[in-house]
Amino acid sequence: MSVDRALIISALVIFVMMATTITGCWSRREIDTIGFLMAIGVDEAQEKGKIQLTVHVAKPFAIGGGAEAKGTTEEKPFWVVSSTGHTVFEAMRNLVSQSPRRPFLAHSRFILIGEELARRGIGDVIDWFQRDGEMRRRAWIVVAKGAKASDLLQVEFELEPMPSEGGMGIVMATRTELSTTITDCTLHCFLQQLEGEGADPVATRAEIILRPQEFDIRGELRREKVGASARITGAAVFKDDKLVGWLNKPETRGFNWIMGQVRSGIIVIKKPGEEDRFIGLEILRARGRFRPEFKDGRVSVTVGIEAEANVGDVQGFIDPLRFPEIWDSMERRMATVIKNEVMAAVAKAQELGSDIFGFGAELNRRDPEKWAEIKDRWDDEFPRVGVHVEVKAKLRRSGLVIRSTRIKR
Amino acid sequence: MNKVEGGRISGRQLAAMLILSRIVPITIAFPLITGIEVPQDAWIASLLGMLLAIPFVLLVVRLGLRFPHKTIIEYSEILLGKCLGKLVGLVLVLYWIHTAATVARALGEAYTIAIMPETPILVFMIIMGFLAANAARNGLEVVGRAGESVVWIVLFFLVLMFVLPFDVMHFRNLAPVLSRGFRPVAAPMGTATSFFLQFIVLGMVMPYLNRPEDAARFSIYAVLVSGLLMTSLTVALVAVFGPTVSGLTMPAFSLGRMVSIAQFLERIEAVTMGAWTLSVWIKLALFLWASAVGLAQLFGVSRFQPLLYPLGAIVVAFGILSYESYTHLQIFHEFRHFGIFSFIVALGTTGILYLVALMRRSLSPGVRR
Repeated sequence: MSVDRALIISALVIFVMMATTITGCWSRREIDTIGFLMAIGVDEAQEKGKIQLTVHVAKPFAIGGGAEAKGTTEEKPFWVVSSTGHTVFEAMRNLVSQSPRRPFLAHSRFILIGEELARRGIGDVIDWFQRDGEMRRRAWIVVAKGAKASDLLQVEFELEPMPSEGGMGIVMATRTELSTTITDCTLHCFLQQLEGEGADPVATRAEIILRPQEFDIRGELRREKVGASARITGAAVFKDDKLVGWLNKPETRGFNWIMGQVRSGIIVIKKPGEEDRFIGLEILRARGRFRPEFKDGRVSVTVGIEAEANVGDVQGFIDPLRFPEIWDSMERRMATVIKNEVMAAVAKAQELGSDIFGFGAELNRRDPEKWAEIKDRWDDEFPRVGVHVEVKAKLRRSGLVIRSTRIKR
Repeated sequence: MNKVEGGRISGRQLAAMLILSRIVPITIAFPLITGIEVPQDAWIASLLGMLLAIPFVLLVVRLGLRFPHKTIIEYSEILLGKCLGKLVGLVLVLYWIHTAATVARALGEAYTIAIMPETPILVFMIIMGFLAANAARNGLEVVGRAGESVVWIVLFFLVLMFVLPFDVMHFRNLAPVLSRGFRPVAAPMGTATSFFLQFIVLGMVMPYLNRPEDAARFSIYAVLVSGLLMTSLTVALVAVFGPTVSGLTMPAFSLGRMVSIAQFLERIEAVTMGAWTLSVWIKLALFLWASAVGLAQLFGVSRFQPLLYPLGAIVVAFGILSYESYTHLQIFHEFRHFGIFSFIVALGTTGILYLVALMRRSLSPGVRR
């Protein structure tokens, strides 16, 4: 009897709880009330002390539903809108007054920073991106060279209707195919380098390419003409949270050599014996590491790089079967090119006074006591660090032909 | 003997409940690592904290073995006399109620911060309080069996959590080791140990073991399993987050968010929440049960079941009232507050009881009951 009553009572309690909780969530959001932010740009606003936030919202209905509708729409599948505020969060909320759909951040892949703001320092704007639960720490940080983030958000790419997807495609491709993008430019890594001792952050550098108006592209997408596009052109160098300079493409690859992040790419060498002709070598795999040491009061860094490449493209004639010395000679030239890239990156970093490689951090890991002595004057010490590069370059294969076609003359 | 609880549990069930209890303060909040000065040495603090817990657990077990079929509440009365014994018992019961309240609050906080920011925190706390009280009302056997089946799921989830973000782990973040000596490691180590001191609940559970002599073995298993889990999680966290780890509100949760495998398996924080919710349930049930049985024995009530729903309500209210914000909860769990509090309550009471037991035996060797 009492068991029955307990059963009935507990069933009632459960029923009431289910009726109140399961029928709907408190904070439910239907998909058609959400605006998916694909990229977020931060600039200094015209009003002093304020921040301008520009976002790039996907327009799902303009992406097209069925297969035949895809890409035929005249509308751009995205919308770029700006708002301002004293903090990033306030600006984001102010967006709501212009956006019929509630901004949703979990899909945004880029945090774009305008050059002006980057030079002033981004420490004050970056907090919200890690504090907010919707944002992902794997978002890429991109600095717009010579432009505002809001301009960079206006660019379009021919092959992707959605610029953020296009941008991601380019970032991924330059990272793996060219190795001219820094692999770890995400918010996650940026924050670690901001906080970690003896390391300064880097970010991706992007530039806007303006297309001349008369240039008419008739692509698959019958959108309006693409007015501006963008390209990845290397890396942005920060000192603490302030942008201090840029690495161009070879310097960026130099940086990647040191960090062991080179995946692929083309090394162009002059053809041995015929200095006006070139040979293109394709990097297959590479390893890179560095070891900082104290030598009589000074810090010196030994960088060791091992690289393997294929012969990919030859101007003129080579025949390694009959003249095997050319193989060694190409390897030597490849090593020189790598070394030059590395030294260019080091020279630029030392000129800017920014320890983007984390030489100091590595020193701390190896010899914390010595590091404790040196760390207060590391800013003065870093530009004087001597860097020695040892490159082991190996050519492995030569494609489908070993001897070039001998052109009869 | 006032037998308010008639259940019997096995050693494995005991280990499961203890493991789940210890896992609670590492799956979402991670007091050991929050605000730590030298994050790369956190794993040392974790390991040492675990080792320090073993003698304490052995102390509680030996005390329990001295008084077979008696809970810590009962034998403190035998040892210290009616008045002082009841006082010690009351302190312990309040400690368990406080533990339960903290756990309930932390559960609510985690849900509001991470998943449903607009839902009032009371919703989660009341639901969990009800579920846990309900489980505890059915006795220790039910909690033990639930723990035994849940622990595998939770362990699996936790292992997933610290293995899957492997692509963002940089083990060089763990160097240099002990660059600033042992001093900065001491406080986090104390924090790690202070949560193990909650194992004093063993004093309540031991008399219901079907083989009390297993208690030492299985509670040390529990210390080792949860301690090693905690250490591996610490290593993973530092490897992933580097120096920024000490600023994270919910480190393990953030770790789950970092998972990205082939752009396909991403952001498994729901898994983390699952592990957390299950372990919170068992911990809450265990501590509610201990407080209810403790209260019943203190005040000579013959059944503990009627106490559980009111206790659940008290725990929820206490949880809300104890901490003004999540930040306060985190500040409280630093070593200088919670650590010292735990050491005084748990180590103090068991220490006194054990000393008195030793003295009594040497004074009158005949009396041993």
